[in-house]
Amino acid sequence: MMSSNYTAIDNENVSGSVPAVADPPGQVAVKFTESNLQTFPPSSSQGKISGASGPPRDADDTFSKPVSGSDEPQQSGWFRSFTIAAYQPYFDVDTSDVLERIKDSLFPFAGSFSEKTASNPDLYGPFWICSTLVFVAASIGTFFTYITHKLQNKEWNYDINFVTWSAGLFYGYSTIVPLCLFLVLKYFSAPSGLVQLLCLYGYSLFVFIPALCLSLVPWEIVRWVVAGVAGFMSATFVALNLKHHLSSAGERWFFIVAAIFLLQLALALVLRVYLFNLTV
Amino acid sequence: MSHGALTEPVWDTVKRDLSRIVSNLKLVVFPNPYREDPGKALRDWDLWGPFFFIVFLGLTLSWSASVKKSEVFAVAFALLAAGAVILTLNVLLLGGHIIFFQSLSLLGYCLFPLDVGAFICMLKDNVILKVVVVCVALAWSSWAAYPFMSTAVSPRRKALALYPVVLMYVTVGFLIIAID
Repeated sequence: MMSSNYTAIDNENVSGSVPAVADPPGQVAVKFTESNLQTFPPSSSQGKISGASGPPRDADDTFSKPVSGSDEPQQSGWFRSFTIAAYQPYFDVDTSDVLERIKDSLFPFAGSFSEKTASNPDLYGPFWICSTLVFVAASIGTFFTYITHKLQNKEWNYDINFVTWSAGLFYGYSTIVPLCLFLVLKYFSAPSGLVQLLCLYGYSLFVFIPALCLSLVPWEIVRWVVAGVAGFMSATFVALNLKHHLSSAGERWFFIVAAIFLLQLALALVLRVYLFNLTV
Repeated sequence: MSHGALTEPVWDTVKRDLSRIVSNLKLVVFPNPYREDPGKALRDWDLWGPFFFIVFLGLTLSWSASVKKSEVFAVAFALLAAGAVILTLNVLLLGGHIIFFQSLSLLGYCLFPLDVGAFICMLKDNVILKVVVVCVALAWSSWAAYPFMSTAVSPRRKALALYPVVLMYVTVGFLIIAID
């Protein structure tokens, strides 16, 4: 139903690698794509980002390959990391999956998020949660100062650097910290997948979206409480999920978890000081 | 056509490109019978239209900014250009069936209502009028992008493909309102 509209593209697919399947080629192609992606979830923990340890390349894989458009179906090895198909396993989620993961991230004490997503971590959530955070931060900063300036009839200029600054903060935090953690965990020989860590950290930032919205309340005490609760929830979420993973790795797990917890609280503090602090 | 593009006058080439932009714009942004399947409608895609719309929007925003004009243009242009690429990649990564440049082209054409809105906002400096104009432009842009984005992916992922598009258009709308 969905792809039969795209006759132009489907015809290309058919002429590319499928020897003339009869009438509804689009639907067959879609089924194969999805079953393929679900059959081979990225479960190994090494070399996530390069995509070198992707799903085994069999007949189904080449069948689904033309989805990514122009790239050659016979590519292999290192060059595969430049194709879209290499990253498709990390975006293999439905709307309901993403909503459920977001819901999990709001209940930090369950600590089952990393188990649930271990076999199918996604990067969709982290990327768009960060983007939404950048947008919410920038727009709240805008509107808050805009309204207060208009009320006082003052000249008002929007500081466009606010956008770039908050983008750097959110994207930077949600990539650099998991990357460092990945290396640290490798050093302590309790390896965890890089994509799993990115997924965990990305979803842990979700709670800051409603927190930023609540920071419009003009009372200092409310802002502190909101920032504190959000930071505590986010930090607990990350720490508890990693504790499940780390507690098998020896007695040093406590320090790592504590460091992770404090780092997340520090992020909340930075947000409180710079973003929640939009006074006139 | 009797002769090729090499020997024809420049004006003819420009005129042909312009008329193609206008016809593509009609196909994407205005109601027409092909809206159910814009992938088919926009077979003859081009990147000139999106380029003009993005540059025009960036220039309108930087003209209306009173300070840091060049920075405003840089951020707006980067946001729009990178945004179109990222939105297209998002659909491809979700397993959607689209052609990369066709999608870029279509997303660029969908900026046309926001262009119009930004232009009106530049001429009239009235907060309420601005909010109304931007809301109308946002609804129009999202309406134009909806059929293409929703048919490209499987129904269970429709919201995942549409949310980023709406997010980007809302961001642009906020920028239009904010910068004066």
